[in-house]
Amino acid sequence: MRPVVVSGAGMIPFERRDEDSLVDMLAAASLHAMDDAGLGDRPVEAVYVGNMASGLFNHQVSVASSLVDRLNLLPAAADRVENGPASGGSAIKNGLLAIASGYYDIVLVAGGEKMREVIGPRSTDIVAAMTHPEAEYIYGVTLPAMAGMFARLYMDKYGITREHLAHVSIKNQGNGLLNPYAHIQMNITMEGILTHPQSHINNPVVADPLHLYDCCPVSDGAAAVLLTSLDVAKELKVPIVEIAGFGQATDTQTLQERSDPTDLKAVSLAAQNAFAMAGIQPEDINVAELHDAFTILEIAESEHVGFFEKGEGAKALARGETRIDGKLPINPSGGLKARGHPVGATGVAQVVELVWQLRGEAGERQVKDAVNGFSLNFGGFGNNVLAFVLRREA
Amino acid sequence: MKTITAFKCTNCGHVMYPRHERCLNCNNREFEEIEPTEKCKLLTYTIVNELPWGIDERGRVLGVVEFENGVRALGLIESDDPKIGMNLKTDWGVVRVIGGLKTYGLTFT
Repeated sequence: MRPVVVSGAGMIPFERRDEDSLVDMLAAASLHAMDDAGLGDRPVEAVYVGNMASGLFNHQVSVASSLVDRLNLLPAAADRVENGPASGGSAIKNGLLAIASGYYDIVLVAGGEKMREVIGPRSTDIVAAMTHPEAEYIYGVTLPAMAGMFARLYMDKYGITREHLAHVSIKNQGNGLLNPYAHIQMNITMEGILTHPQSHINNPVVADPLHLYDCCPVSDGAAAVLLTSLDVAKELKVPIVEIAGFGQATDTQTLQERSDPTDLKAVSLAAQNAFAMAGIQPEDINVAELHDAFTILEIAESEHVGFFEKGEGAKALARGETRIDGKLPINPSGGLKARGHPVGATGVAQVVELVWQLRGEAGERQVKDAVNGFSLNFGGFGNNVLAFVLRREA
Repeated sequence: MKTITAFKCTNCGHVMYPRHERCLNCNNREFEEIEPTEKCKLLTYTIVNELPWGIDERGRVLGVVEFENGVRALGLIESDDPKIGMNLKTDWGVVRVIGGLKTYGLTFT
């Protein structure tokens, strides 16, 4: 495998974007990434688009073909990559392996989703289409419901309280205020979402024990990276941020078939593989973007990837260790909680944030002196997970 | 009573639901078809207020149970006061109407 560099990174602000189509958003993020790399007129050889459900949300398919047409990247190879909420991560994987193999030198990876074209319950239903049709979907299960059932077990087992969950929410919303690309720009307090007797009005139950502020918003958005070989990166004279590690693993589709449903095996395995490929340990990571579609997941993932022992993640969080100025900043971007989760965009947006952090371009939310970054893109309910390690050249 | 079909591996005895073509434990491809038992225990649950399009209700209780033969399944919990570990009785009923058609599934009382 030869080195692969993220030579360009770009995205558009995640929000409700009524004026933009999915391809409008993908095109804008792609141009941002291409211009960031200073690519000019050099040809892009292949394009991978991470998108979960354009056919259902937008009644449009073959969006990768549409994107190359829109950007005049013709005759580049173009594919849409679908892997549920990890579609963005899977698109990056495809680009990474295509360059690492030596087949291509310049690959554009874009991820996007336009979810707000449909009303909330429709969107909930479309997202629930990733569950098992016969064993889950027919019962009206939603992703927050899966997370609620998981949270109840995880919280019981490790003594996690709603206050711990609120710490995730407050930290990530605070970070989001420093990120102009984040969807939810809102300063929230423990009193407002948990301790005030009327906090349930601000923060109603979505899927008990999870409340509104435990869940990511429904967003429109897109993000893109331009991946190149090291030789091309040197020609472009970009800062060298390499994808040093990658891992992916799967688990049973339904939660109940896992012998211990609190054990997110695919998260642990994906992370272990990414660390092994990069030749580093979890403690070498300086900044991480985890998949906090639900607050409980940030805590559980921080333990499963090896940043903390099981049961210690919530304590470290409460001590402030995962804040931007803490020992291991987690989700300086605001995470899915604040940045938003336009499903197919998320895995790409996580890598975009790491590139900005490792280059020192993250503005007010800059993590100091970060060399190694880590991202985790959690598909299904933990049944298809990707992890990446990014490294800045010393 | 109509119910789901679960699967018991003829080689290692591992029980599975839903269907897999190869045993999750030993890769064997032959299974005995088994049914849920009448009694089961609640392993986890959630009370869902934001339900998908087509289910016009709030406060639906969904949970995972374990039957006496070890099979586990998700279903509709028809108890107002669910508790982890509580004993439930297995039943079968309408769980969702999809495109005007009644869809039946596991319910627990």
